Amino acid sequence: MDQQVDVVVVGGGSTGCGVVRDLARRGLDAVLVEKGNLTHGTTGRMHGLLHSGGRYAVSDQKSARECIEENMVLRDIAGHCVEETGGLFVKRPEDSEEYFQEKLEGCRACDIPVEVIDGEEARRREPYLAHDVEKAIALPDGAVDPFRLCVANAADAREHGARIETHAPVTDVLVEDGEIVGVEIEHETGPGKRVHGEPGTTEEIRARHVVNATGAWAGNVGAMAGVDVEVRPSKGVMTVMNTRQVDTVINRCRPKGDADIIVPHETACILGTTDEEVDDPEDYPEEEWEVDLMIETLSELVPALEDARTLRSFWGVRPLYEPPGTGTEDPTDITRDYFLLDHGDRDDLPGMTTIVGGKLTTYRMMAESISDHVCDALGHDASCDTAEAPLPGSESEARMEELMDEFGLRSPVARRSGQRLGSRADDVLDEYDPNPVVCECEGVTRAEVQDAIGEAGSDLNAVRLRTRASMGNCQGGFCSHRIAAELAQEYPEPVVRDAEDELYQERWKGQRHALWGRQLSQAMLNHLLHATTMNRDGDPASLDSEVDFGAFDAGSESGTAGANEGGDAGTAAADGGRAGDDAATDGGI
Amino acid sequence: MAIDSDVLVVGGGLAAITSAVAAAREGADVRLVSHKSSTLRQASGLVDALGYVPATEPAQPLREGPPTAGRELDRDDWPDPEGPLADPFEAIDRLPETHPYRVLGADALREGLALFDDLAGDAYRGGHTETNALLPTFGGSVKPTARYPAAAEAGIASDGRPALIVGFRSLTEYDARAFAGRLEAAGVPFDVAGAEVEFAEAFRADTKVTRLAKALDHDEEIDGVPAREALAKAVAPHLHDVVDEAGGVDRVGRVGFPAFLGDQEGDAVRAELSDRLGADVFEIPMGPPSLPGLRLEDRLYDALDAEGVRFETGFPVVGIEAETDGSIETVSVDRKGRETPYGADAFVLATGGLVGKGLDSDREGVREPAFGLHVEQPEDRYEWFVDDAFGDQPYARFGVRIGEDGRALDADGEAAYDNVFAAGGVVGGADVAREKSASGVSLATGIVAGRQAATEATQ
Amino acid sequence: MTRHTDDNGEATDANGTSGGDDRAATDGGVESATGGTDAPELDPDAYDPVDVFPGGDLDLREGADSCYKCTSCDTSCPVAEVDEEFPGPKFQGPEQWRLKRKEDHDIDESITSCSNCMRCDDACPSSVPLSQMHNEARGQFVEEQMEKLSVEYVRNRILANYHTSAQLASVFPRTASFTMNFGPVRWVMEKTMGIPKERDFPEFATETFREWWKGRGGAQVENPDKRVAYFHGCYSNFNTPEVGKAMVRVYEHFGYEVMVPPQKCSGTPMFANGMLTDARRHAETNVESLVEAIGDGADVIASCTSCSLSLRQEYPELFDIHGIEDVSEHTYEALEYLRINEDLEGELAENELADEQSYAYHAPCHARNQGLSRQAVETFRDVDGVTMEDVGDSCSGISGTYGWKEEKYEKSMKIGAEMFEHMEDAEGDVGMTECPTCAMQMEHGTGYEIKHPLQLLEDAVVA
Repeated sequence: MDQQVDVVVVGGGSTGCGVVRDLARRGLDAVLVEKGNLTHGTTGRMHGLLHSGGRYAVSDQKSARECIEENMVLRDIAGHCVEETGGLFVKRPEDSEEYFQEKLEGCRACDIPVEVIDGEEARRREPYLAHDVEKAIALPDGAVDPFRLCVANAADAREHGARIETHAPVTDVLVEDGEIVGVEIEHETGPGKRVHGEPGTTEEIRARHVVNATGAWAGNVGAMAGVDVEVRPSKGVMTVMNTRQVDTVINRCRPKGDADIIVPHETACILGTTDEEVDDPEDYPEEEWEVDLMIETLSELVPALEDARTLRSFWGVRPLYEPPGTGTEDPTDITRDYFLLDHGDRDDLPGMTTIVGGKLTTYRMMAESISDHVCDALGHDASCDTAEAPLPGSESEARMEELMDEFGLRSPVARRSGQRLGSRADDVLDEYDPNPVVCECEGVTRAEVQDAIGEAGSDLNAVRLRTRASMGNCQGGFCSHRIAAELAQEYPEPVVRDAEDELYQERWKGQRHALWGRQLSQAMLNHLLHATTMNRDGDPASLDSEVDFGAFDAGSESGTAGANEGGDAGTAAADGGRAGDDAATDGGI
Repeated sequence: MAIDSDVLVVGGGLAAITSAVAAAREGADVRLVSHKSSTLRQASGLVDALGYVPATEPAQPLREGPPTAGRELDRDDWPDPEGPLADPFEAIDRLPETHPYRVLGADALREGLALFDDLAGDAYRGGHTETNALLPTFGGSVKPTARYPAAAEAGIASDGRPALIVGFRSLTEYDARAFAGRLEAAGVPFDVAGAEVEFAEAFRADTKVTRLAKALDHDEEIDGVPAREALAKAVAPHLHDVVDEAGGVDRVGRVGFPAFLGDQEGDAVRAELSDRLGADVFEIPMGPPSLPGLRLEDRLYDALDAEGVRFETGFPVVGIEAETDGSIETVSVDRKGRETPYGADAFVLATGGLVGKGLDSDREGVREPAFGLHVEQPEDRYEWFVDDAFGDQPYARFGVRIGEDGRALDADGEAAYDNVFAAGGVVGGADVAREKSASGVSLATGIVAGRQAATEATQ
Repeated sequence: MTRHTDDNGEATDANGTSGGDDRAATDGGVESATGGTDAPELDPDAYDPVDVFPGGDLDLREGADSCYKCTSCDTSCPVAEVDEEFPGPKFQGPEQWRLKRKEDHDIDESITSCSNCMRCDDACPSSVPLSQMHNEARGQFVEEQMEKLSVEYVRNRILANYHTSAQLASVFPRTASFTMNFGPVRWVMEKTMGIPKERDFPEFATETFREWWKGRGGAQVENPDKRVAYFHGCYSNFNTPEVGKAMVRVYEHFGYEVMVPPQKCSGTPMFANGMLTDARRHAETNVESLVEAIGDGADVIASCTSCSLSLRQEYPELFDIHGIEDVSEHTYEALEYLRINEDLEGELAENELADEQSYAYHAPCHARNQGLSRQAVETFRDVDGVTMEDVGDSCSGISGTYGWKEEKYEKSMKIGAEMFEHMEDAEGDVGMTECPTCAMQMEHGTGYEIKHPLQLLEDAVVA
């Protein structure tokens, strides 16, 4: 069934989700297509910094100003996605005083509220900071949960009539008579995927305008339309610590360099990052030295990191872009600004606009700007309200005491549930009784998991991103089977089994980069639990060959009789061959 | 002044207990010292010998160089394992040469199992045959094992009686319906259904299973009804849930519960439930917290006491204190901050692997911290793993290598000391998880180390 | 601080024992002994790792790094076994701490159900500082969330400060013993204070240990090479001086010079009730006088396993007092010390007890935590005339003050049920244990006479 809509937005990252929300709220008929989960690409692979703009206050003041503006907007409209941690730019003795002053003046010039504090005050606020940190600039950096942010944008878009299609890669961009008229997508098959269309089928979505919001993948979509989009993808590592050594964003105050930021994110700290240009955003090496660099360099700011437990590492690719001919050699020098490429103007191929560059903090502003552009192109007259309208979940704050008392949650579980669900907490938690905790590390209850399954289907990685279930110290060892068991009400057994395997393997993938010390012990325990006791690797249900049950021990009492006589025993029981049987069948227990 | 004994066993798990008893039965004066309570309490209670010969060669070439972002993990990298094996002994020759079973021989496993049978007594079954049994476990299908708790026996998969799997809505470990579906997918020769019932809901959702076991032990009243009766009542409506191939309804011959049917009074709890339900009752081995593991721990420590072994829990061995001529004389034991020498004529190291903390690691490498023994390992930590979680993981085989007399070996394959033996999880070379051989390796290495240590000490 | 010795030989300081001290309960706010400004850079050891939360509270989030979720702690918890409202040590410790953020102050109320038996410490294969996490969380809960005028708070404060009430009672021991256990008085206590009427208050001795010590003229052996400082604790002083006397006679028999330095409560009941400010004040006195004794060449010996555990483990974990590590390192339990330093079993083998006696021995949880759960059995099992039967590894259920709370009484008895059964199954009708509150519970549940291993040792080697 092919569909004709106003706009199809390609890419379910922060930009795409922001755009589809904006367009839907302006009354346009919009579809978002994403090849994986929402946030599958770069958005889901960032450290979660809500920029104050301080990082760009010297090198790129336009970006810095946009950041502080949008930082304030997001605190208002997405309270349940944002943690107001505050941030520090700290100076070690060997760091340049001149640069410190430049940073300070830059911040002031960009209207970023700053305060200079001495080392002692910095350590009072963050006692794990190194003793020789001299001073710091305090500013309003924060932490943002990109998953919740995207999901909330998508949910709001859906409420305003948009269609959100995940696990649906674009297989072609439709060009007719020198104009782009839509895209062809494929509905993916495979375990655990949320499928709207019939699995394995393709669908043409015809649209009056296509927005290419695929970030580092923008070149691929461009190529399908026959246009060049020169994105320069650059990889960066993020290393996840098990606990929060700091509760404030810690930046190293020096011009540029790898491994200069620690972001407290939910229950963890995320160390970042590296910046290396790669050829292919899908396939690049994830290297040991990058992880080691994070730990060693950032230990200069927070010495406790040296011996602290690392859970995993992951990499993201930045969708850096620069206009043709700029020729910047070092990717760290490429601007973080965003660019709107109108392919009608640029390539004489109307009907599609590509957006590249930019950053999560300014996603809404980028979405507004591209939505303005699309409305112009379509001659649609409507104004943007996304800076004022709160996202679903952020209408009001969840009250923790109520969650504790009404839903019988322990206080830290109530607190976490409240923070994750925001104003939806009441509705979600009201659904299940009993409501046991499914993921103990992150304090995620059945109600929240079921809510996520309702939204994301049997794709447990999507459930994980919505709830944080399996993202704590055991990395799924103690909960991937529990989360999968929650699928059993709605899904048949093979789906449950495959979804469990997929989640377990995904959790393993990141742990490979943290496989020493306590996480190695954890990995071995997980291995013993899942292979020894649960026999997930040798499960006869999943093996190709059949098992001859008759060849195995049939119990000490049945002796060598085995399976055959077992059937008789069953009959005997059914015939009431036991004392308690009659009473039992009568229900008279 | 040193605290002396003939044999000092370091560790508190199955291998440590086995070697301590084996040494004591050889006439040695044995002391056992362990850092923490036994990790037996994490174990499912099943005693495996060898259930599979897992593939050690991938089906297709593995990546070269560092992991890459783009490569999706592919389970088909690795062929299916050989198994489940009905006969654990005949497959030993197909294990890698450095596997402890290959080093010690099949008889070590036989004798270890025989010692276990003796210590476990009537609490365990499976000793009547050398053939493995297949038992349902909480992962949802079946696994091969050599010995199993009497409480689990009625669940044996090579038995044709229709079965009901019971799950509790407030417990998250498995869903009984998916469990039954998985057993069917495994092709079990019996009809099976799963039912999620209310029972544990009388308790708060985060109630520990030890609490539920205690309530059944004491048959405490739950909303005015004794616990065992209340449980039977919750299950009774589902006794005819099984539908056979012809679409007919069968009354179940046996009912499986998560393994918390009592602690001290398990037999009585099962007997009463069985009586009330008119069906055999069995426990499904679970992950931690594990009542069968706790029960086994209790039984084995009683056995240790009965054998006259002295034991202390709470103190780690932190290093070698004195050695002469290739023998260790005393080790240093950390007694709450004070290092105290413990002397012995022979030592058995049974401190466990990466989980039991008998092996320690950092970004630079893997170590055996108590005696500083050699641990075979790739130099680069990015070669400690393969991409498929269930592939042939090098880290899973980490450990101290032993010779055929159980002595710990150095990097050159020579005995590291004349009087140091190793047993259990600290011994490398096996992937006990994929092989389903963890207990068997502990028993085989334990009995050899214990006997040889006693011989060394008393000669 | 000025210190004087009162009639009881007890040290009191100028602060007195009233709770007027509003200093932060723990030491976050006090300059760290280990993290001075001249510490070498980048050495993680040089940074005070736990001093993070405002108000001087400890940040124990990093302790969660060691947890791999195995639940060994939960299976060792005697409270979780009987109380479905108690979510177990894993939740109370590493999980709750890991979920904490700096701005969060609330601690789940269930922390007050933890009896502080500390079995979880011993169970954890990864050495997560469970009891430290529980102690600190409980301290923060009591300090910040508990209603200070509530009956429960006042009652807990009184129970925690047993030292103070016992000191008063021992002035008129007979009256006190009678009055405390007098029916109508008990009824009032239950109704107004939540102290269960089923419990008998311990009897107060007519002569305290310290009075006896003073009366006999102090030490009768002088030996600068073998010196011990006896930490008798409150109970051996006020209620069972016979244990203290046995300690002195046994140690003197082995040629030790016994010192009895001024001392206050070890803090055990205060930790269990989250009264960390009170505990700290007492700790200051104890550390000061024990450090002095250590300086004189003595090791510190306690006959109560909770006292020795407190000095060894809880002191350095919770407080930062000059010399506290020295005290920790020099403290031993009485029987343990002799087993390490003397040929106790050789000595016992030569002696024989006149009257055959079987004992039902219970290892206190706090002894277990020090690795001492088997010492009595192994010391005495080959002594002629003695049968020592271990009644198993269950908890007695009293856990110091836990069983003295009305709302916990039933659970306390439920925890103890297994021990009572095993005691009754055991051959002997005399109980034995190192812990005075376990002894109370054993007596309460079975009616047996309960002895301390030192008393048996005295019979065997001194008499």
